[in-house]
Amino acid sequence: MVMLVMGLIALLGTSSGRSPGSLSWPAWAAGQAKEFQMTFPLGIPADLWELMIPEDNPMTEAKVALGKALYFDTRLSADNTVSCATCHDPRRAFTDGKPVSEGVGGKKGARNAPTILNAMFNEEQFWDGRAKTLEDQAKQPLVNPVEMAMPSHEAVVAKLKQIPEYVKRFREVFGGTDPITIDHIVQAIAAFERTQLSGDAPFDRFIAGDEKAISAAAKRGWELFKGKARCITCHEFNPSSPFFTDFKYHNIGVGMKATKNFETLARRVQQLAERGELTAAELDKLSLAEGFSELGRFLVTRQPKDVGAFKTPPLRDVALTGPYMHDGSMKTLREVIEFYNKGGEPNPNLDGGIIELHLTEQEMNDLEAFLRTLTSTYARALARGEITIAPGK
Amino acid sequence: MWPLKWKQREQQYRQERADFFAAVKRLDRRAFLKVAGMAAAVTTAKTVLPPHSFQLVDVVRASEDEKPLFQFAYISDTHLYERRLNERFVKAAMRAVEDVNALDPQPDFVLFGGDLAQLGQPQELELGKQILSELKAPVKMMVGEHDWFLDMGEKWQELFGPPNYSFDHKGIHFIVLMSVNEKDFWTARNMTPMERMKTVAGLDNPIQSRFEVGPEGREWLRRDLANVSPETPIIVFSHSPLYKYYRPWNFWTEDAEAVQEILFPYRSVTVIHGHTHQLLTNRIRNIHFHGMLSTAWPWPYAPEGLPKLTVQMDRADPFDEADGTGDGTVDVYGSGYVDKHYNLWSRNPITVAKAYLESWGKEARPPAPQFPSY
Amino acid sequence: MRIRHVKLIIMGAFIIGWCGLWPLSSDSAAPGSWLNVVTDIIPLAAAQQRPPSQHPQPQSEDGHLVVQLCDGRTQMEIADVREGEVLPPEKARLVARRLMARYAQQQAKQASKWTRRDRLIWQREQKRLVEEGRRLFHDWKAIGGTIGISCDMCHPDAANTHPETYPKFQTQLKRVAALRDMINWCIENPVKGKPLALDDPRMLALEAYITYQRRGVPLDPGKH
Repeated sequence: MVMLVMGLIALLGTSSGRSPGSLSWPAWAAGQAKEFQMTFPLGIPADLWELMIPEDNPMTEAKVALGKALYFDTRLSADNTVSCATCHDPRRAFTDGKPVSEGVGGKKGARNAPTILNAMFNEEQFWDGRAKTLEDQAKQPLVNPVEMAMPSHEAVVAKLKQIPEYVKRFREVFGGTDPITIDHIVQAIAAFERTQLSGDAPFDRFIAGDEKAISAAAKRGWELFKGKARCITCHEFNPSSPFFTDFKYHNIGVGMKATKNFETLARRVQQLAERGELTAAELDKLSLAEGFSELGRFLVTRQPKDVGAFKTPPLRDVALTGPYMHDGSMKTLREVIEFYNKGGEPNPNLDGGIIELHLTEQEMNDLEAFLRTLTSTYARALARGEITIAPGK
Repeated sequence: MWPLKWKQREQQYRQERADFFAAVKRLDRRAFLKVAGMAAAVTTAKTVLPPHSFQLVDVVRASEDEKPLFQFAYISDTHLYERRLNERFVKAAMRAVEDVNALDPQPDFVLFGGDLAQLGQPQELELGKQILSELKAPVKMMVGEHDWFLDMGEKWQELFGPPNYSFDHKGIHFIVLMSVNEKDFWTARNMTPMERMKTVAGLDNPIQSRFEVGPEGREWLRRDLANVSPETPIIVFSHSPLYKYYRPWNFWTEDAEAVQEILFPYRSVTVIHGHTHQLLTNRIRNIHFHGMLSTAWPWPYAPEGLPKLTVQMDRADPFDEADGTGDGTVDVYGSGYVDKHYNLWSRNPITVAKAYLESWGKEARPPAPQFPSY
Repeated sequence: MRIRHVKLIIMGAFIIGWCGLWPLSSDSAAPGSWLNVVTDIIPLAAAQQRPPSQHPQPQSEDGHLVVQLCDGRTQMEIADVREGEVLPPEKARLVARRLMARYAQQQAKQASKWTRRDRLIWQREQKRLVEEGRRLFHDWKAIGGTIGISCDMCHPDAANTHPETYPKFQTQLKRVAALRDMINWCIENPVKGKPLALDDPRMLALEAYITYQRRGVPLDPGKH
């Protein structure tokens, strides 16, 4: 089975980045724990989902429930005010509606909160891809001074150990004498996040054959999206990858105007790397620091071509996830469409695929109409308060 | 004389670009060894991406005792139309100028590798001269067939001087050799100058003749070398490769053997050529050959005749107009042999090191393409 | 041995005319150069310049004399003459007659309505379309380009077009596409023109030229 899974990964050209051979199924996971039963929204293939579950973090009902509790728990932050859900709020399609996120004491970062819906399918996490997995990702905001601001991972563990409820639940889920570890904490959170999928949008019903699911304007927009407007090349959509992203990094010029000082910033990053001081934690701080943040993917690769390049965001639920771009600098979808129409922001490293589009008013309206058909039933119901998933509410 | 309005529009961000790239490039070189180690660790952890061996090249280079004597930069094959017809190629040429101006320290000079214009028209050549005049370092001009065959080099020579010349720099004898002469195919066909130009401009047009240095050019070369000691390192700039790669596309110099014979007696000879718009490497006896990137577009590799030492660059993605294009620098060593840097605009840079050619491809191999041509 | 050579020369004189005609039905041009189109479509002139073909001499298992025509296929084993023995002149004439009769029998075609003239028409029409495609491929104005970029600037001799690999997944479109989709993609994007209608004669001509340039290459749909 393991061989088959790895084979399929190679075949699909996707990878969760784990290495074969690191497989260890604890006895409790293989036998006792109840496997999580996932229900898949229309348009999201179950086999892809299964492929993307790490071998060392199998999905169980108890673990998902624990992860959900942690996700909504503000006690994971230094002053008990910030949880994962603060910036990734289910009522806003798991974003925060702010240009850039605010952590403890209202401290501001430099990046717009991306949704966690379908985030499990990402090749890498964060706008610059500095984390390979959801587990890696979850470790970082906990100790970033402008986010949850815990002094260390050890402090997070120590704090949770003071809460009897968690001691009990971690033991149930992970077993062993010392079940509360930073790795187990993020494994539980990631397991919960892997249950949060976006699909079953009007567009999915249209693709499935329901011609009436979307308007004539949206259909024209879909044709533009595939053709003249050149969207689909980066916001990839096909049944093998229905996520509206190519999982790659592109410089479209956002933020290149705001920061003048790339020379100094890049030099400092390079010096840190030279001295071996560009640790994951340091990288995480830089990525949320003004100025440095705009270096984008360069922070991770330190290749000139990656300066100002950011991950193509998925477009599902995009009508609910504004403001837009890595720095939240655009309020409306219309603003985003106009930005692309003029060929992005000219800058030293503009992606060669970003060119003027010459879209008419009508065409821009049609594109927006199309984007609005990507809202999932789930995110819409959460946004309208028709359902709620926060515990205790 | 030439209005600078078009420049103002883009001046602001281009200044930022200049500042920035100066820093990044400087840092890259100095920081390489340690960074390469870290990057290797990162790529090993990723199962999808092969470790990028570009770092390995630089590790090998850094382990040599010898330091480069100096550096020059190159820009080549800009193929300019008038700006009102085609802005893309103009912007690409300007990007190359900004790249080179951002080098710190500045290169000793900049080689322009020919095909400044697309159809040899005065407006195109003058636009090219205007763009290149922004370069801070001195420019060494070379002519290409696209510059020549409308008026048989009249305008180009008026702007840039004779197409054959030589100079000495820090102990190296540099020769700029006009290698794109063709035998008269136009008179008998009663062609207009523009018909002649367009025939030559068509890479796959079989009506035209083949490129040659020609008897006069070879005689000029012999005379130029008459007083140069065989121990003096020689670097030749030619537009066409001074060897025979693929005849149908004039990736070719018809009298290449005769030219090579003139160069064989010298201890070290390096030929840097344009025209082929691709990463291209060859060695014949004592002569090392390096191609240059175009700023305008990449050519595919020819169906046959590719030199064995060439490690191909990946096929370009046409969605990205900058992919497969770029500019570069050349580090010249005391021996006269060089490290050739290809600054690919949409990819990681690639170095074809001196050690690679000196070892006949055994050491310092550049990274292999994921998608070679077929 | 000596005699057998004599016979073969005699027979060669009989049938050299047929040998010269064969290339009419064979496609002998190698893919690659555009110049091949001319020799391929008008094969007679080229074929007549070709040297006579050489074939390996067959051997009899029993050591009998074997005589073969210059087609390299039609042959006869002479049961009562050993390899190396002299074939009497009358017998030699008989053998030659029988071989030629057998050859004529093998060459007989079914009585279909298509004539050599028909085939020439087909080839000429194909050539005309290929040439039109080649012209369009080199003329940015003819395909509605607006910035001086023509197909041949990135694809000399239609190189790097790989028509034999379609339909295949195309990263620009993020779906499996046909060659004509990509012709239109190039016209719309790098060439900066308007896509052609799929039944536009120019589309057909471009397809004809591009596929002709890769003739003989095995189909390999999906190859990247």
